[in-house]
Amino acid sequence: MAVGHPAAVGGMRFGDHFFLAYDNGAERYAVLAAYLRAGLRAGHALVHLADGESAEAVRDRLRALFAADAPDLLAAVNDGRVAVPEAAGRPAAEVIASAAGPDRSAGVRVSVEASPSSRGWPGSAGFAAFEDAVGRAVAAAGDAMALCQFDRQWFGAGRLDALEACHGGRAGADAVFDDGVLRIDPLFAPPGLRLSGSIDESTLPGLLAALRGLDDRAAHVCLDLAGVEFCDLAGLRALVGVNEWSIVPDRLVVLRSAPRCVEMMMRASGWEGAPGIVHEGVR
Amino acid sequence: MTAPGAGPPQMRGLVPDAPPRAGGGDVLVHRAVPYGWPRELALTAVPYLEAGWSAGDAVVVIASEPVRVMLRERLGARVREAIEFIDAADWFGGPMRALAGYHDRMRADWWPRGRLRLLAEPVWDGLTPLETLEWQRHESLLNVVFAGTPTMIMCAYDAVALPPPVLTAMARTHPELAGPDGPRPSPEYTDPAEFYAECNAGALPPPPPTAAHRPFGAGGLPSLRGFLTAEAARLGLPEARTLPFVLAVNEVATLIIRAGGGRGSAALWAGEGELVCEVADPGRMLADRFLGYSPPPPGPSPSGQAGQAGQGGQGTDGAMWAVRRLCHIVQIRSGADGTRIRMHVRLDHG
Repeated sequence: MAVGHPAAVGGMRFGDHFFLAYDNGAERYAVLAAYLRAGLRAGHALVHLADGESAEAVRDRLRALFAADAPDLLAAVNDGRVAVPEAAGRPAAEVIASAAGPDRSAGVRVSVEASPSSRGWPGSAGFAAFEDAVGRAVAAAGDAMALCQFDRQWFGAGRLDALEACHGGRAGADAVFDDGVLRIDPLFAPPGLRLSGSIDESTLPGLLAALRGLDDRAAHVCLDLAGVEFCDLAGLRALVGVNEWSIVPDRLVVLRSAPRCVEMMMRASGWEGAPGIVHEGVR
Repeated sequence: MTAPGAGPPQMRGLVPDAPPRAGGGDVLVHRAVPYGWPRELALTAVPYLEAGWSAGDAVVVIASEPVRVMLRERLGARVREAIEFIDAADWFGGPMRALAGYHDRMRADWWPRGRLRLLAEPVWDGLTPLETLEWQRHESLLNVVFAGTPTMIMCAYDAVALPPPVLTAMARTHPELAGPDGPRPSPEYTDPAEFYAECNAGALPPPPPTAAHRPFGAGGLPSLRGFLTAEAARLGLPEARTLPFVLAVNEVATLIIRAGGGRGSAALWAGEGELVCEVADPGRMLADRFLGYSPPPPGPSPSGQAGQAGQGGQGTDGAMWAVRRLCHIVQIRSGADGTRIRMHVRLDHG
């Protein structure tokens, strides 16, 4: 896994050509939906590229992705606000320019579906050349950004790093909470949350909202606590009581890399043996 | 070690010195055994421990090395091997540490084997007046926090070496006194609530002029924690002990913000061998009836609503339990002019 935090997709700017290596559909959905919604709000022209396939097939895949939880994005695909051009064999800059149309005064957001099936096996010259062309097009346009999405399962060790090098940075899902004291990022494989900072009376409402927002159908949930610098009793109670909001019987809650402050509060409160809680001691 | 609990369950209640049963339920037995010389202690303690072994109890001795050696010499090999011997110096590091240790071991190890039969020799040497008072409160509290549990505790008091005030408090904190002729009620025994109130009666001296002060309110706890960490380092608290101290003070401040007057102030100073932090809530009284001396239920209650159950309620009680565990000693004083919670942590050792 690549080291360091990716940039939040919500913070992308014109000129960015970012890379998303996703673990599963949930992660891709979260990042792509945030990216497209930000574009709809800003009035950007939205272009979704997937070469080597018919545009209708690509549109169908997008419809399937958004059908369950994103009626706004489904509508945007259906009414053409998310443009899906026929891209095969044409230069990336030309495809983007023509798909964005004449009215691109607010700028252009490009989404690139980088599945190996459409462009040959990763590592091939064509694959990298396409990325380079997208990068050049974004850089030259001045009012465009691109988010290239790669399914992590398709790539061997080292290949993702090489692909990332074709981009200006990595994108990830937006934090679900960040007030400068506590930051909460979503995790997708396994599903859960990564917490960084301090959990106290001021950040507890944000933590509770994030915990309630977890997919309550997941069979297990991972709470990565490696970045937690402080945790009070109410925060700990929220973490070990997270199953209160689950409809899954006997859901497993994995506390990953609990720092010393969490372990100490766990001992002091006597909740070390709370049912359904597994401590994964990484450090 | 031989598996404990050798005696069959049906023998319970029939063996000599067996615990009384009220309506078939569990009854705490808490006796002091004042002794003049070690042999006199042995005359009482050895039959007590042997009866526990016969009854299949979990039998535990927490005592100084001389007492442990003396008992080992007088107990039969099978009984000796079935008893868990613990060094009193390790166990009685502080009244709350010992109480939490009892709770942890009773639930995890001792009660699952049936009745606990404990011989304890509290340590009264080298204590400050505050520590002595809090150990006496601890003796009285045992009658409350383990009431209705399958527990027998016999506390050994050296009637020759210990100072008279300690022996006076012994008689007031143990419902029964034991000796070679058997147990008898302690005429001086004092209701634990009354004893607890007496322990809280003395006014706290004001913080010294050198104390560092910091007000706090909602949203201000990161700044309070920064202040506590910096001051603790300046006053010589080892880094490893700073985290529990900051966790405890933060928890009390949180209670004040959530369930108390909403804002308060912290004063911090170094005393003799200890770091003291007093957190004051000028806006609210706090009902302190054995507050924070019983552990919260093993599973947390939902919704992360610690401290929101009102004053003296379940949330406050659970939070104060954690605060007491994180500190050496915690004093609470509350009245019409508000509440002061004074937390003591040791600078020198554990």
